[in-house]
Amino acid sequence: MKTKIIAFTLASTIAFGAGISSCTNLDEEVYSEILEKNFNPTERDLPFILAPVYAPFRTLMFGWQGYFDLQEESADIIITPVRPNGWDDGGTFRRMHQHNWTSEQWQPTNTWNQAYSAISRANRVIMQIEDGALPLPEEVGRNAIAELRAARALAYYLLLDNHGNVPIVTDYRDASLPEQSTRQEVYDFIVMELTEALPLLSEDVGPMYGRMNRWAAKALLTKIYLNAAVYTGSPQWEKVIQEANDIIDSDAYSLDMNYSDVFTYTNENSGEIMFAVPYDEIYGTGSQIHMKTLDPLSRLVYSMSAGPWGGNCAVPQFIDTYDPDDMRLYDTWIQGPQYHATTGNEVINYVKPVPGIGGDGTVAPSNAGYRIGKYEIKRGATNNLDNDYPMFRYADVLMMKAEALLRTGNAIAAATLVTEVRQRAFKDNPAKATVTGPQLLLGSSYNYGWQNKDGSVDGMNGGADIQYGRFLDELGWEFAAEARRRQDLIRFGVFQTKTWFNHRPHAQAQTRTLFPIPFAELTKNPNLTQNAGY
Amino acid sequence: MKKLPIYYFMLCMLCCYEGMAQQSITLRGKVLDETGIPLAGVSIAIKDTQSITSTNESGDFTIQYASPAVLEATALGFVSQTFNLTDQTTLTIRLMPSEETLEEVVVVGYGTQRKGEVTSAIARVNAEDFTKGTVRDAAQLIQGKVAGLRITTPNGDPNATTQINLRGLNSINGSQNPLVLIDGIPGNIATVAPEDIESVDVLKDGSAAAIYGTRATGGVVLITTRKNRSAEPRTSIEYNNYANVQTIFRKPEMMDANDYRRLIAEGYAYGDSSGNTNWIDEVLQNPISHNHNLTFFGGSSRTNFTGSLNYRNWEGIFLKSGQERLNFRADLNHDMFDGKLRTNLQVINQSLTSKQGGAGGWAWRQAMIRNPTEPIKNPDGTWKEGNAYMYDNPLGIIHETIDDRIFRETRFSGSLDYRPIGDLSLKMLLSRVLSNNLTGDATSFQHVNTTKNSLNGTANRATASNEENLLELTANYNKNFGDHHLTLLGGYSWQHNVGESFSVYNFNFPNDDYTYNRLQTGMGLREGLATMESDKNKWQLAGFFGRVNYVWKNRYMAMASVRREGSSTFGENYQWGTFPAFSVGWNLANEEFMQPVEFVSNFKLRAGFGVTGTIASSSYQSQTSYNFDITQGAFINGEWVPGFVPARNFNPDLRWEKKEEWNVGLDFGFFNDRLTGALDYYTRTVKDLLYSFGVPTPPYLYSSMMLNAGTMKNSGFEALVNVKAVDTETIKWNTNVTFSTNKNELVNLSNDQFNVTQEFFDWGHTGEPIQVSTHRVRVGGPIGQFFVLKSVGVDDNGKWLVENKDGETIPIGDATPEDRQYYGNGIPKYNLGWNNSINIQRFDFAVNFRGAFGHQVLNMQRLYYENPVNKAYNVLKTAYDPVYGKQLDNDLVYVSHYIEDADYLKIDNVTLGYTFRPNMIKGVSNLRVYVSGLNLYTFTGYKGIDPEAVNMGTIGNQNFTFSPGIDHRDKYPNTRTYTVGLNLVF
Repeated sequence: MKTKIIAFTLASTIAFGAGISSCTNLDEEVYSEILEKNFNPTERDLPFILAPVYAPFRTLMFGWQGYFDLQEESADIIITPVRPNGWDDGGTFRRMHQHNWTSEQWQPTNTWNQAYSAISRANRVIMQIEDGALPLPEEVGRNAIAELRAARALAYYLLLDNHGNVPIVTDYRDASLPEQSTRQEVYDFIVMELTEALPLLSEDVGPMYGRMNRWAAKALLTKIYLNAAVYTGSPQWEKVIQEANDIIDSDAYSLDMNYSDVFTYTNENSGEIMFAVPYDEIYGTGSQIHMKTLDPLSRLVYSMSAGPWGGNCAVPQFIDTYDPDDMRLYDTWIQGPQYHATTGNEVINYVKPVPGIGGDGTVAPSNAGYRIGKYEIKRGATNNLDNDYPMFRYADVLMMKAEALLRTGNAIAAATLVTEVRQRAFKDNPAKATVTGPQLLLGSSYNYGWQNKDGSVDGMNGGADIQYGRFLDELGWEFAAEARRRQDLIRFGVFQTKTWFNHRPHAQAQTRTLFPIPFAELTKNPNLTQNAGY
Repeated sequence: MKKLPIYYFMLCMLCCYEGMAQQSITLRGKVLDETGIPLAGVSIAIKDTQSITSTNESGDFTIQYASPAVLEATALGFVSQTFNLTDQTTLTIRLMPSEETLEEVVVVGYGTQRKGEVTSAIARVNAEDFTKGTVRDAAQLIQGKVAGLRITTPNGDPNATTQINLRGLNSINGSQNPLVLIDGIPGNIATVAPEDIESVDVLKDGSAAAIYGTRATGGVVLITTRKNRSAEPRTSIEYNNYANVQTIFRKPEMMDANDYRRLIAEGYAYGDSSGNTNWIDEVLQNPISHNHNLTFFGGSSRTNFTGSLNYRNWEGIFLKSGQERLNFRADLNHDMFDGKLRTNLQVINQSLTSKQGGAGGWAWRQAMIRNPTEPIKNPDGTWKEGNAYMYDNPLGIIHETIDDRIFRETRFSGSLDYRPIGDLSLKMLLSRVLSNNLTGDATSFQHVNTTKNSLNGTANRATASNEENLLELTANYNKNFGDHHLTLLGGYSWQHNVGESFSVYNFNFPNDDYTYNRLQTGMGLREGLATMESDKNKWQLAGFFGRVNYVWKNRYMAMASVRREGSSTFGENYQWGTFPAFSVGWNLANEEFMQPVEFVSNFKLRAGFGVTGTIASSSYQSQTSYNFDITQGAFINGEWVPGFVPARNFNPDLRWEKKEEWNVGLDFGFFNDRLTGALDYYTRTVKDLLYSFGVPTPPYLYSSMMLNAGTMKNSGFEALVNVKAVDTETIKWNTNVTFSTNKNELVNLSNDQFNVTQEFFDWGHTGEPIQVSTHRVRVGGPIGQFFVLKSVGVDDNGKWLVENKDGETIPIGDATPEDRQYYGNGIPKYNLGWNNSINIQRFDFAVNFRGAFGHQVLNMQRLYYENPVNKAYNVLKTAYDPVYGKQLDNDLVYVSHYIEDADYLKIDNVTLGYTFRPNMIKGVSNLRVYVSGLNLYTFTGYKGIDPEAVNMGTIGNQNFTFSPGIDHRDKYPNTRTYTVGLNLVF
């Protein structure tokens, strides 16, 4: 009897518990997230859904160890030397400078991650539109997909340029491990995508600021054709000229009056910028270029609400190439004594010499090296700049066309375009703005060679032997600190062959024109093969 | 039972006298043991009469008496008890085991068990063995007293708690912390005041912990609070207090102003600001703390209560740091229907207030690196500041910051325990825990936020509230028949938790007088530069469980249990998991053939297996959901819009981590239990490790996602030996030693779904300006390995020479990341505790030693401050000492030179007490005074502040789980504590 009571009680206790259905209900109640099943988007939601495709470009460009560092610190204009307050950072900046990066190096990995983030997001939104999960009128949907494909092509272009042999993924539904494509295939894919998208892309300029309109896509295509010889071995100079002419003939863009206008903290009003990565100190944060370059003391000069970190600066050998009358020398680089915003006292004096990159015990003084001042720092700046990054600008279109002309034997026509771009930099000396065709055929004035601690340069192999070296110099002066020097150096063959500052050509220099596939991705996707030389 | 004829005889006698009694009253009663099990054969007699009887199998008895009378209950092996009877007709008696045969009872999941019948690895520490004197929280009470449970004090912050680790690291993303139950209700080690604790039981192995399923991988700590017992209702008041002073355990020897001037004279580029300030002394204070505890016991045999009040005011060693805490607890028990229904109500309230300045890691770093020739203030009374990089006046930070916090927690619980028949208990437990945390901090216009960064005052307010409800239904059947003892348990548990939080940050105030009390006056929010956030989340946990214990003749024992548990935090496909366990024991000492071997009083072999789980660290990890996110927004159609992004890579297959553990052990007692102890060997394998696994991008959106991927192994040996070394009337010396080892291996890190394997991951970070990771966890290796360039010398120019991957010595400038190597491990291989308590007449003396061996510590003070390269910052006096015979002239770099052997042995706690004669002061039944020292001395070769005070687990928002053994430069320094105290019982 007792046993029965016990059994009954035990059973009923458990049954009681089980009987209260709510007490086994483990459905999650979600408060601070939006469940997919509860979100029914309409056309009104399109901007919110497009936005994440563009957002990764902010982190990618000017974020910590972002694309800017990847393109500039591997090249001959900008370095991050060891300073009294640090910046050895396990040698990461030195490895960038000396091309000793490995597949674990963060900067190229960062670019990979952010580019694929944009790609994956674009794929997802394209799928949502195609599946009708995001119901849009047919034309709106078709145009949106064209824009997404162009934005995705932009991300693939960054991968094409930096990692070369990357997987092409276009279908968000497919979660299988993607196969690797060759650099040629990636090139073909981007060209095809852009060509198909172009007719559907908006020709609007203002409303499409910061987005891929037809002209931005054409500028991208021009850029890819410009580097086609590097990417595929087959130059496409005629196509460069053809695409550039389309842009020029549209009259949609023009050179700004002043060089510095392109880089102000209100540069969304520039008439020259064709595609920008917009930044905002409130809504679109991530531009910390001033934080990395300025010495902490410069805080007082700009009444900043954050203390900058005092890191990168200009390579003295590059500064030496400027014509002292070139206004771009002063618009691009913060140099000389800096004065307190309110008291007017000198707080720091940035000098040109930098003793070395460090690692051998050399420590660059905190005021060594000119600082990046191209992106105008507003008074009271926070640690996020407002200035938009001009990825494609009209001057670049002119210069791309000029380069194609120069390389196809039309130096005179090229010189006209270069002169057009130079004019605003020599307002006080208009005569110096003019460049002739024969001048463009000269070598570079960059004194390539090893820089000793005392500033002297060994090796003396200089830049005179660089074909079209003068044109490369022009690109340097116009586009210094615009996150593109690496690409230009590769196209002119300098990246692989020249010595500058504390950089010597890498033992496997030819392979350094591509960054390695990130180690983390190789371990995650066995379909990937590492690039040659790593 | 043998005595039964005598009882019958007595009964007959009773009958003879019955007619003679006047106004005879019939009393029906029941006798239970300490754990509530009915006792048969207990002799019940009315004093000075012939009235006598004994209890039946259900513990029931009936006896006649004439009021008033005195009833005496006696049984072999129990303490006799007497009761005054005046017209009562019912009585429940609880008998306590007598000293001689005191068979210890341990708390197991959902009940208690006699220690002799335990077949799992369970450790119990009773109040008399607790660490004495100043104790931070419940964990410190048992520090060094439980083999395999490593408890360390990571820092000297009065607001911090101890760190606990049981049997190595067992999870990557789940909590390493044990499940802490306070009288059966989940809490944490700081929930109740240490003075309120009667005993702490630790369920160490899987077979014991599996009854708690998913929360038990880190072990289970069962805290039993002090309670009045119905059997011996105390009516007394206890008052305990102590006061203490703290000193810094070891002061970093930074260069002083004289050193600066000497070096300047020698041509070093230091600045002389013509002052003389010892910054370390300036940011430290001499903290005086006090603690008061008042406990009331009262009631009758039916109804009793325990109430306690605990007030603690602790100061920290940093200027303007401290904490004030008030704990209140009331516990009410009531028996009804002849003890058939027992009810309990308990309320525990804690309110904790801290009003601090800006002292903390940043101020401490600034005190260390600040130029000793700089004065504290400018002539105009403002703080002297400089413009060097990351260089602020620590006193300005401390005095110009307000950091307030109020934490309140109230725990209500009630239980009904119904015993329809003597052997069966049906229990319902309900509890609600409500907590609120409110913080407010602000910086004034004199703070560097304003003087340097022009923020014009900053202020934060944050609040978080949490509600956790628990319902548990259990049925417990406990039966002795013949040589058999059977216990059955069945139950159901439901828990749900809702957390909500809100915070606002603002700056740019017109005036700093408001501090954080009028946030709307700041312009930062209106300018879009300040932030505001809110969040709410919820989780539920449901479990069904059952357990069978069987013992035959106290020789053979077996236990089997199972828990089926479901959690809302896992993917729909895997919400429920099953966690079985079993264990067996054989006590040879109770075998017939062992009876001649008299010196063996206990020799119990145990073996067990159990499966436990680890719950996901947060809710919603499996959900397909999205968020609007400003940081993922863009400039679309001429305006900034937020981006609509997936919250994560979706994984509906997310499931439990499962730990499978084998444990074999031996409990022994020799020489009439003068020498007792336990040995255990365990091997545990954690499968389906939750790891934020790298997934390929493409095709995935985020480069990592939470997956079940990997296996980790831990094994180790634990020993506990207790010796009653001296046991005489006047002198008693008990000594015990705990020893444990742990061996850890990450077996693999791979996932079938993706057919990919992670070979290693890096963890830990040096911080600025070195900016590299410190540890690498490699598949096939143990957790905790440092991964570093091995320094082997210094060249003539003062540059490091390191070993490359081929074992050759190269200049550090030529080293690549591939040259880094594994160098030492931050997790001790061996842990030792040695606890002594000595009583000589009225004096009591306790001394505890604690040590850890076979591990290394990264000394970050030396890493940053034993290198003179940066003349803008102060350094240790040793910075100019030669390294490998050379003067160092290298950038700050992470090399093995700064990883030190950290073996140590501590004289941790020494207490001397004196107990006065009872009633020496009228009404005072007990009076004891004591002095105590904590963390007194450390034998070690380690050069830093304290080799034990290193980080494990998660501290603040930094996760050190896989970078153990970092002695962080910003760490709140450990202290030495001297205490005087008083215990009074009225």
